[in-house]
Amino acid sequence: MNNRFLLEGNNLKKTYLLGRTEVPVLHGASLGVEEGQWVTILGSSGSGKSTMLHLLGGLDKPNLDGGEVLFRGKSVWKQSNRKINQYRNNDIGFVFQFYHLLPELTVLENTVLPTMLNMRSSGARERATALLEKFNLGHRLNHRPRELSGGERQRAAIARALVNEPSVLLADEPTGNLDEETGKEILDVLSNLHDNGLTVILVTHNKEIAGRGNKIVHLRHGAIQHTATLAQST
Amino acid sequence: MYQTLLTTRYLTSRVIPLIAVAAVALCVALVIVVVSVMTGFLNMVQSSGKTLMGDVIVSYGISGIPHYDTLIQYLEQDTDIFAATPIVEGWGLLQMPYPDSESKQSETVQVWGIDPLSFAKVTSFDESLQWKKPTENQKSWLLIDAITENQDFLRDQLPEEDWSHLALLVNTASREMNYKETRIWQEVQEFLPSMLWNHLLSFDERLSTPERLLHQGLTLSTNGVDGIVSGLHVSEGNERQKDGTYQVIRNDYWWLPRYKGTLTMLPVDNQGGVIEPESVIMPFVNEFQSGVFMIDESRVFVPIQITQKLLHLDEAEVINIDDPSEVLGKDPARATSILVRGMPNVDADDLREKVKHLYSGFLDNIPDKTIVFPPLDNDPGLTINTWEEQQRRFTGPVEKERELMRTLFSIVYLVVAALILSIFWSIVFEKTRDIGILRSIGASRASIVWIFLQYSLVIGIAGSALGLCLGWFITKKINTIHEIMGNPPIGFAFGSLALAAIMALMTIAKARKGFVLPIVLGSLGFLTFGGIGALVLFVRHIGGLVIWDASVYYFSIIPNEVDWPSSIATVGGAILFCLLGAVIPAAKAADTDPVKALRHE
Repeated sequence: MNNRFLLEGNNLKKTYLLGRTEVPVLHGASLGVEEGQWVTILGSSGSGKSTMLHLLGGLDKPNLDGGEVLFRGKSVWKQSNRKINQYRNNDIGFVFQFYHLLPELTVLENTVLPTMLNMRSSGARERATALLEKFNLGHRLNHRPRELSGGERQRAAIARALVNEPSVLLADEPTGNLDEETGKEILDVLSNLHDNGLTVILVTHNKEIAGRGNKIVHLRHGAIQHTATLAQST
Repeated sequence: MYQTLLTTRYLTSRVIPLIAVAAVALCVALVIVVVSVMTGFLNMVQSSGKTLMGDVIVSYGISGIPHYDTLIQYLEQDTDIFAATPIVEGWGLLQMPYPDSESKQSETVQVWGIDPLSFAKVTSFDESLQWKKPTENQKSWLLIDAITENQDFLRDQLPEEDWSHLALLVNTASREMNYKETRIWQEVQEFLPSMLWNHLLSFDERLSTPERLLHQGLTLSTNGVDGIVSGLHVSEGNERQKDGTYQVIRNDYWWLPRYKGTLTMLPVDNQGGVIEPESVIMPFVNEFQSGVFMIDESRVFVPIQITQKLLHLDEAEVINIDDPSEVLGKDPARATSILVRGMPNVDADDLREKVKHLYSGFLDNIPDKTIVFPPLDNDPGLTINTWEEQQRRFTGPVEKERELMRTLFSIVYLVVAALILSIFWSIVFEKTRDIGILRSIGASRASIVWIFLQYSLVIGIAGSALGLCLGWFITKKINTIHEIMGNPPIGFAFGSLALAAIMALMTIAKARKGFVLPIVLGSLGFLTFGGIGALVLFVRHIGGLVIWDASVYYFSIIPNEVDWPSSIATVGGAILFCLLGAVIPAAKAADTDPVKALRHE
């Protein structure tokens, strides 16, 4: 245990059941992320990178003897369900490849939603509106997600992830569903956030994107192959 | 809080919840209508029994109870008893005034000889009388009748020319009145000298004082002559209207209180053999409607002394058979039944025991010189029953039937639950990814459960509230609906067929674009409206449908009072079963693995 890390995964193991067959996805991967760092987890499809992200984000539980996830030195999965929900709500912001906005809600409602879960609703609308305006979505507040372009949807998803001012942003292939130009736009948004001090963990299979972070973790067949620290983020 | 936002959006952005609400509403309305009609039916059977017979009935077959007036006096002295009244009951043949032919129609009637004043105290006889005042048309007919009856007198009093004019006026008026209203009343009043006009008015007291019509019914007499009050369905002249009121056919031409009828009854001797039939001609003075079809189609009321005379139950002298000149004493008049009404709040069963006890006391107090004795209290022919026991053969099966219906229709609740279950199962399936998203931003399992429970609660409350309104409306308007279903207006058929034609044209137009859904919907609309139109035409062709047959269900109208306790229970049950139907899918939703849920397509 090392307290210099904000978020830490120690010896993470995860096995899924596919019918009766056990499919090991992660076997003993460890990762430490310091506050303000941008860590890119790079790996091909099926390497276990999304699973890693889910474990770190408290969305999925490691195996019984599958290591532990520490946030600010505290074990996430040893806490009560209520605390885990709070962790997902307050400390973590998720951004997914397929945006995952609720289709029935407007952009603004989608963005405000996390604040409604933790009763931090005072000033939430203003905060959400400010975020959306910052991401050039000021004119889209009352639109439904289906009326938005892919880039706009992903920006709305990022706004939702940030509305509770989380400590870490977890992005799972955030540009995977976008064309190159729009993908770059999204990465610029993330870079900008990172420059302002946000800790980012980004999962991708795209080596070009990996160049943006402070640290690249190569994941292969469920284990860390090597870790590279970059001199400087771009 | 966020659940409310989501529930509102889920409800307003899809068709499924609307279908669920409609289904719940239909189920609730169905149960409410069925249970209300059954309960109303039972209440009607029970209350009609009570209002038509009093609380307790003392009967002694066709031989009758002698000294019944002493018995009544004796009963009425008791503080628990409000009033008692004698009845002489028997079957008779009533010759009706119609048709306009030498050969008249006769009806078999159940004749009740009553003492109208005490009878009205025991039963709701006064409330059941149909005619309170003559209508304008009825007054006109009464005037025409009065002129016809007094034609000899009028011919004497009027110059030849004026009489001819009056006769023409009356002829024209009676011919025209078969079709439309005329102003004969005003014309005759203006034409006749006031002396003759007043003579006509005084000839029939109903002309000068319309209120006498009701009074004549209450006293069973007109101008000092005994009269008949007959059930509303005895006469074929009375026709039920769509709004439930009655009208007399041919613009009141066959209004029974204009006519006389011949009542024939068969007196029976001690061995049950028929003695010579007896007849009496009497005017109809009013008609009554109890609401019980079986009674309204066959019962007539006449003064008790008439039936006593016709059935040979009136006072007679008892003579020595060996020496007919020797009078042994008097055989007093008899009544076949005594109806007793208790004071309010006196239980019918307690009252029956009281009457039994009083009857024994009455037997002990018969004067010594009496030679004809009433039946003893242990005589098996003597029955003392409550109205409920008397009606048992009706109410028993109806009560059982209602319970059966309640049980059968409870299955509807299961239908509601199964429906909600399947709808929510599909909603949860469809919303799996949303559940994953919500979990990823920190929603707890309990809050996910609450989204779906709230959703089903809204469907349950909205559906059952709508069902309650629908059930209330159908129950209230059930007679009108029945009437329309039985005899649908032709406009309905044309309207439906026109809509079907429009649907067909629209479908053809849409078909060109090649989309399937508009074609399917259009065809369904065409078939539905076309089917309704064809059905209406068919029903009209076969002369209408009668679903509620008054001769089967005893009552001429379908009970239309909502059974509120059952309805509230139905609404509560529907909401509960909606929640039950949603709780399993909701729990399933809460337990969904968020990672898997996010991958859900």
